[in-house]
Amino acid sequence: MKRVLPFLWGLMLPPITAHAAETPQMGGTLRILASSAAGTLDPQISYISLTKFLETPVYDALLTYPKFAGAGAHPVIANLAENVPQPEDNGLTYRLTLRKGIHFSNGQLLTVADVAASFRRIFAAGSPTAGPYYSAIKGAGACLKDPIHCTLSEGIETNPATNTITFHLTHPDPEFPEHLAWMHASILPASTPLHDMGNTAPPGTGPYQITDYNPTTHMHFERNPYFHEWSHNAQPAGSPDHIDVTFGLEPESAVTAIENGQADLMYENVPLDRLGEVGSKYADQVHIFTPLLYYYATLNVNEPPFTSLKVRQALNYAVNRHAMVIYDGGSAVASPQCQLLPEGTPGYERFCAYTAGATPQNPAPQWVKPDMEKARQLVQESGTQGMRVTIVTPSGGKSDNTALDLRSILESLGYKASVHSISPAIHFNFVQNSDNHVQISISGWNADYPSATSFLDTLFACSNFHPHSDNSPNMSGFCDPHIDDMMHHAAQLAQTDRTASNAAWAQVDRALMAQAPAVPLVQTKRVVLVSKRTRNVIITLNDEILLSQLQVP
Amino acid sequence: MTHSTSASAQDTRPPGPWRMALRSLRRNRSAVFSLGVLVFLAIASLLAPYYARYVAHTDPFVSNVAGSIMLNGQEVDIMQPNDNLLHLGLSPIGPTWHGSYLLGADSQGRDVAARLLYGGRNSLLISFCSAALCLVLAAVVGIAAGFCGGIVDIILSRMMDIMWSVPVYLFAISLSIVTLSDGLHLGPFIIESDNLILPICIIALVYVPYAARPIRGRVMALREAEFVMAARCLGVPRWRIVLQDILPNVTSTLVVLGPLIMAMSLLAESALSFLSIGVQAPAASWGTLIQDGEGLIYTRPMVAIAPGLAIVAVVLALNILGDGLRDALDVRDASHREQ
Amino acid sequence: MLMAALRRLGQTVFVLFGISALVFAVFFATPGADPTARIAGKNASPQTMQKVRQEYGFDRPLPVQYAIMMKKLFITQDLASYADRGELVVPEIIRAAPVTVSLVCGAAVIWVVVSIAMGTLAAALKGTWIDRTLMMLGLIGISIPVFWLGQVANLITQNRYHDTWLFSWVPALGYVPFTQSPWGWFKALVIPWVVLAVLFIGVYSRVLRADLVALSGEDFIRTARAKGLSPSRILIRHGLRTAMVTFVSLFGMDFAQLVGGGALLTEVVFGLPGVGRLTYQALTNLDLPLIMATVMYSAVFVVLANAAVDMIYLLLDPRVRDAR
Repeated sequence: MKRVLPFLWGLMLPPITAHAAETPQMGGTLRILASSAAGTLDPQISYISLTKFLETPVYDALLTYPKFAGAGAHPVIANLAENVPQPEDNGLTYRLTLRKGIHFSNGQLLTVADVAASFRRIFAAGSPTAGPYYSAIKGAGACLKDPIHCTLSEGIETNPATNTITFHLTHPDPEFPEHLAWMHASILPASTPLHDMGNTAPPGTGPYQITDYNPTTHMHFERNPYFHEWSHNAQPAGSPDHIDVTFGLEPESAVTAIENGQADLMYENVPLDRLGEVGSKYADQVHIFTPLLYYYATLNVNEPPFTSLKVRQALNYAVNRHAMVIYDGGSAVASPQCQLLPEGTPGYERFCAYTAGATPQNPAPQWVKPDMEKARQLVQESGTQGMRVTIVTPSGGKSDNTALDLRSILESLGYKASVHSISPAIHFNFVQNSDNHVQISISGWNADYPSATSFLDTLFACSNFHPHSDNSPNMSGFCDPHIDDMMHHAAQLAQTDRTASNAAWAQVDRALMAQAPAVPLVQTKRVVLVSKRTRNVIITLNDEILLSQLQVP
Repeated sequence: MTHSTSASAQDTRPPGPWRMALRSLRRNRSAVFSLGVLVFLAIASLLAPYYARYVAHTDPFVSNVAGSIMLNGQEVDIMQPNDNLLHLGLSPIGPTWHGSYLLGADSQGRDVAARLLYGGRNSLLISFCSAALCLVLAAVVGIAAGFCGGIVDIILSRMMDIMWSVPVYLFAISLSIVTLSDGLHLGPFIIESDNLILPICIIALVYVPYAARPIRGRVMALREAEFVMAARCLGVPRWRIVLQDILPNVTSTLVVLGPLIMAMSLLAESALSFLSIGVQAPAASWGTLIQDGEGLIYTRPMVAIAPGLAIVAVVLALNILGDGLRDALDVRDASHREQ
Repeated sequence: MLMAALRRLGQTVFVLFGISALVFAVFFATPGADPTARIAGKNASPQTMQKVRQEYGFDRPLPVQYAIMMKKLFITQDLASYADRGELVVPEIIRAAPVTVSLVCGAAVIWVVVSIAMGTLAAALKGTWIDRTLMMLGLIGISIPVFWLGQVANLITQNRYHDTWLFSWVPALGYVPFTQSPWGWFKALVIPWVVLAVLFIGVYSRVLRADLVALSGEDFIRTARAKGLSPSRILIRHGLRTAMVTFVSLFGMDFAQLVGGGALLTEVVFGLPGVGRLTYQALTNLDLPLIMATVMYSAVFVVLANAAVDMIYLLLDPRVRDAR
């Protein structure tokens, strides 16, 4: 896959960048289509990728991921802060200095008081990541219990004279800088109400402001008159004068609208049925990139037959990942996934433990073909043939195909398999709750930010398994203290030696795959169609397409 | 009626209403033709397990995206790559007009023609069973309300009114979504969410008010009829009156409603399955086939068009048959369907 | 008259209470429907979940929750969705209603005009091949699944023949508000109108023909004929007028059900953001506030329309008034 991608870039990018370099285009109105809006605009509450995509040029956090193309756009760099803080006191203290002269879109000057208030608001307004990302801050425990009286007075120290902010932690958090760059840590004016802002966008510091929003119809952006570029790599100034987003058009219709030049960019992928047409007639308007996202089947290690390692490995051997690639539109837009980190993540080293001729001890360099004989033999040894297995899948869309294919495989391995498809809205929480006794389910996972923790720790660490709860991202219920130690070690290493840390994460990936708590299936690419006139499409590792940089004459 | 010399003993008696109806139905050519079409389609799809595999050479329930077939001496991939610069997208094989993949493949590489037959099995089975169940329920409700009158009639009629005030399809969709999420738990009995009984019951239930109203009206009229009054005066028990006098007279209404309700059930079933809340995968029905075809409508429209034509054919035949029965049995009712 | 109106009101309230209580109970009995985790967001800590539970009142007894929801829906009208945080459901329905009304009204005009023409023509030419052809066409219309017809219409007008002069004017799927562009509104809706009307043309033309044929045997028509009036005049002046009574009551029910959300299949296939599609989305998302609001809207509408039909019935046909 790595071989395919540079080829594609080589094919498409030069004419576009060359053109952009000749005549930098400012002004105009960028027209975006999305099939539906994503609810609240509150950057500290929303946990939807569409909102993150749209609000990247509106809000800023203290730190951020670099806004340039390519796989090298990590780790975090300074944004509203002048520096990336180094951990002090064995990772218990982080000091930052706030940039001077930055204004919110309402004209108000950004101060350290706004920063402290924004962190209190994470707890007071009930940000989803308040627990997982910010509970290391001193006083966070009390804030989680009693959000209304949250002070964080011990955790955050500010000095208006020197413009410095000091964070005090109760225990080291190796990814604290990454969490400071996450959208829920966006800095808002201290006067922002302490509840979900819903359809009203609070003032931000980025080059644009949201001036009009109706979740069923449209969203409108204007320039932030107080914005000036402080760091091109952190928050570049925008090209278009206006951005218009229209909601409600299905992807099929959106493709037609962009082909006809009625819109410039569609947020959703080009539907599979239209890929052929788009590829032959509009090849120079297509942008393909690989987000940190893959699809997999979670195996619940606490529900038979997947309590048996042999059964989990057997299914991994038996799955035809080539078929999975075909369901997603062929090898140009998907690739077989055989491990628990997707390509592009720091720490990713390609291997495949379960393919013809490979074992967890001697993995192959990549997936070749399924090994049904070995799978049948493993199932035989486990003595679980004839058991009933129900695959729980979100209804509608491609997961149905995947689930049906898995059903055929389970049947041919000797199980009585059936598919139970439930509403996508409740599937995600339903399969997490151990009370529902889900044996196997189909899921996709994408990272909040490019980091191995987002996948390996979130999905397979003991601390993320909460029995009887709807929020238990370790859906496999997998817990291995030894692997937990390895993950902790790898995370700690990141503070001193990123290369060594990445190598340690690759080891964790292999160790986890040997236990096979899941069946990785396929990593899909984004296929985005832009209008003929759109130039300067910049795709970053963390923020996908940069809205503010698109040029429309 | 006839003066032929070979008239048998039965013919000397005046023919009963059912024989009259049959005779008049037999003269109705379009109704007879529709019945023929229905019987043919029913046999073709009900016997699918005995021949479809041998014609199609594939299992219509197993995904086959990575496979290939021999066509005119050449090996052809079932999922064909598109011939464009970026190699974007794959399309399933189109209609081959040969034994296997007669109508092409769907997005899972399965034979559409074979699935059409298996889908027909489920569609016909569900619509037939739910029509039968609906008529039984409607007969019970209609007779109870019409014959007992009073408080029973008021309660039952109000319940019908409530059901009537929610659009039929919305009602069916709500019930399906709720029961699909975790099957149906009735005390010790658990009906799994992929059991065909669920759509059968749901569709039968939503059309009960539709069928119960004319039956109630007919029973109310019968209750005042002379022969029923006579039986009551003679002290015949109520249940015997219902069985001997009311039920036989309601049967003609039921027979006329039968095909019409089955037609509506088929449409409702296809709509539910189209919204993927009817028949659950990997089983098929004509509605799920149309749903499968939706994602391929631009490249392989046949996947969605073929099952739609099958639905139109069956529903049309049922409607013509229902009209024929109504004319033959001389039952007048304000038959009317909902959207 | 007043008593009748009061009784209607009582019945309406009873029906609404029954439906809403049922929806509420069924929702909380459905496993996996607890919206706390969905509102709190993925991987939220137990404390955040607790905060959400308190904020939304999920920790209170069900009757109290029901009462609060009804208050928020009908009195303060600030009921918010569980699926999209902060999204108020009442304005959402108010935004969706014009789409459905536009769709249904346009289709109604088509089906009323065409079915009266077809039904009258067939009745006037009873027994001829024109009569049989028209009635067969009607029957075919009844037999086509509307969502499939919509798909085929899309295939033809959006894709296969979109580049020909015949359909090049067809805009992309979706809705254009009348206030924004009346011509765009018309272009976006004309194909959905026709597709939705097909079924009703079939039903209404057949009902009308049957009524007209049945009426031709009645006394007053015979009298008119004896007076020497021309057959076409009798048919239109006397027959059609009387047959309209059934027609209007049928129309009232169908119109109300469609505006109340019954047109959802058409809305889904043509991507029209109307009430039916909203209801369908709410149901698939198991978004209780929106389900409640759409179901209530639908029920209120249907009950009101029933009352209106009864009133019109009273005005049109004095026999009904006497019968009550």
